[in-house]
Amino acid sequence: MADALTRSMRASHVLVAILVVASLIFAAIGVVNGDTFYLRLGTEALIFAGLALSVDVLLGYTGLLSLGQALYFGLGAYISALVLMVTPSFWAAMGATFVATIAIGAIGGFIANRVRGVYFALITFGMAQVAAKVVYNARTLGASDGLIGVPIIKVDFGFAAISTASPAGFFLFTLAFIVILYALAAYLLDTPFGRLLIALKANERRVPFLGYDTVTPRLLAYVIAAVIAALSGALYPMLRGFVSPELLFFSTSGNAVITVVTGGVGTLVGALYGGILLTLMKSVIGSYTEHHLIVIGLLFMGAVIFLPRGLMGIVRPAIARILERRTKS
Amino acid sequence: MSTAIEYFQFVLAPQMLIGLVLGVAVILVALGLTIIFGLLDVINMSHGEFYALGAFIALALGSIGLPFWLLLILVPLVMLPVGYIVERGLIQRVFHSGERHVTTLLLTFGLGLVMEDAFRLVFGPNPHKPETPIVGAIDVFGVFLPLYRLFLIVGGAVVVALVALVVYRTRLGAMVRAAAFDRHMAASLGVPVQHVYAGAFAFGVALAGLAGVLLAPVYSAFPTMGRDFILMAFTVVIVGGMGSIAGVVVAGLLLTQVQAISSLYISPVWSDPIVFGIMVIMLMVRPQGLFGRLGHG
Repeated sequence: MADALTRSMRASHVLVAILVVASLIFAAIGVVNGDTFYLRLGTEALIFAGLALSVDVLLGYTGLLSLGQALYFGLGAYISALVLMVTPSFWAAMGATFVATIAIGAIGGFIANRVRGVYFALITFGMAQVAAKVVYNARTLGASDGLIGVPIIKVDFGFAAISTASPAGFFLFTLAFIVILYALAAYLLDTPFGRLLIALKANERRVPFLGYDTVTPRLLAYVIAAVIAALSGALYPMLRGFVSPELLFFSTSGNAVITVVTGGVGTLVGALYGGILLTLMKSVIGSYTEHHLIVIGLLFMGAVIFLPRGLMGIVRPAIARILERRTKS
Repeated sequence: MSTAIEYFQFVLAPQMLIGLVLGVAVILVALGLTIIFGLLDVINMSHGEFYALGAFIALALGSIGLPFWLLLILVPLVMLPVGYIVERGLIQRVFHSGERHVTTLLLTFGLGLVMEDAFRLVFGPNPHKPETPIVGAIDVFGVFLPLYRLFLIVGGAVVVALVALVVYRTRLGAMVRAAAFDRHMAASLGVPVQHVYAGAFAFGVALAGLAGVLLAPVYSAFPTMGRDFILMAFTVVIVGGMGSIAGVVVAGLLLTQVQAISSLYISPVWSDPIVFGIMVIMLMVRPQGLFGRLGHG
C-alpha cells in the first residue's frame, strides 16, 4: 500500500501527462498554422518552468525559500552561451553547465546552508545580487549588453538531430527536457533521501535523533536545485540566441517564486503549470495594458492569502481521490 | 606629513562627506524596516515602495501648493493609517500560519509589485524632481556641500534620536519591546498586542514615507526608486542586527563609508559587490548581526 506522498505524487504524474498531451496538441496546431511566435513563447514558458521547478525542490521539500535561484539559471545560460560560441555542440554546453554548477552550487550551498529560514532567503538573495552586479560590470561577459550572437545549433542524438531554429522541434525538445527534469526530481524526492528532506522541513532538530545526518542532505538538495535551474537556463541562449544580465536579476528569481506559489508549493507539477499560466497571463493581459504587474501582483497576493497550497493544491487532491477509487474498484 | 593632510582634505574628506549623505538616506529607509522586522518578525519586501509612496504623496501635495515643511509632518501622518490598514487587512491574514516568514515575505513582495506598477500608472515612468526646499551651499573642508544635504544629515540624526527616544524611553516603546520579546506574556500583562503590532508596522511605514519626503529633492521620485535603496537598506538591517536601531546607524554609516572610500581605489562598479559580499559574510558568521534583536537584550 502506497503512502499519502506516493499517492499525491501519482496525481502529479497524471497532471504532467495531461500537460504533455495539451502541449502536443498546441505544437500540432502551431505547425499547421505555421506559427513561430507562440511556439517560441511556449518554449520560453517551459524554460522558466524549469527554473520554478528548482525553486519548488527547495521550498516544497526542504522548506527553504530561495530568492536567488536566478543565480544558477543565469550561470547556466552564460556558460551555455560561452561554450556554444566556441563549439556549437549541445552536449558540450550541457556538460560544461552541469560540471560548473555542481562546483559552484556546492560552494553556494555551503555558504547558504549555514543559516535557516528568513536568513536563508536573504543570503541567497544577496549572493544572486553579487553575481548579477559582477556579470553586469564584466566587460568580457558583454557587461550590460550580455552576449549576443549565440549560433543556431543542432541537437544531435546520433540517430536524429533537432535544430534550435525549428520552433516546433525545439518546443518539443524543451518539453521533453523539462519533463525529464521533473521526472528526475520526482524520483529523487520519492527515495528515502527525499523523505529525509521532508523530515528536515517538518522538524530539523529531531532528524539527528533518528540517526540521520542533516548537513549533507541539505547541501545535496541545494545542489540538485542549482543543477535543475542551470540546465533549464542553458536552454535559454539556444532559444533566443543571446543572454543578458537580466537573467540573473531579482525579477527572474521573484517570478520563479510567484510561479511556484501560485502553481502549488511542493507539488513539482505546480511549477510547470504556474510557469505556463504566468507566461500566458503576461501575454494576454499585456495585450490590453502595459500594467500587467498590477494584475499579476494582485493575483499573487490573493493566492498567498486564499490559496496557500496554490492551484495544484486544489486540483491534485481531486485527482488523487479519483486514482484511489480506481485502484480500489 | 603635509601631503597626508592634503590627501585627506582634497580626496578622502569629500568622498566621506558624500558617503555620509548617502548613509543618512540609507539609515532613514532602513529604520522602519528594522522596526518592522524586530517587532513583527516580518520581512517587509514592499518597504521600498512605501518609501516611494511617501515621495509621491509629497509630490502630489506639493503640487497643490503645500509647503515642504508642512509635508514633513503631513506625509508620515497620512502614511500611518495606510500602514495600519495594510497590517490589519493583509499581513494579519497570513501572520498566524506556520511559515510566517515565508508567507509574509511573499505577501509584501506581491504588494510591492502592485504598488510599483500603480505608481507607474499614476505618475508615469519618468523621474519627478521636487524643488529643493533650501537653496544655496556652503564650504566644508573645501568641499561644496549643498545646504539641503547638510540639513539632511542634521535632520536624519534628529529623526534617529527621536525614534530611539520613543522606543527606549517611553511607555509606548516599552510596550513595543515587551511585545517583541514575548507577545503572550505581554498580552497577559494587558498590552494590546494586536494594536501594538499594527501600530508598529504603521510607524515603520510612516518612517519610510518620511524618508521619501526628505530624499525626493535629492534623488528624485520615480516608480522604481524603492529598489535602489531597498537592497542597501536590507544589507544595513542584516549587518546591524534585525530590529536594532543602534545597529542600523552603525552599519548604515559603516557600509556607506566602505562604499565611498573603496570607490576611490577601485572602480565604483565594484562597490556594490563589496557591500553585498559583506552582507553574505555577515550572514555566514554572525546571522544575528552586530547588535542583537529588538527587545532581546
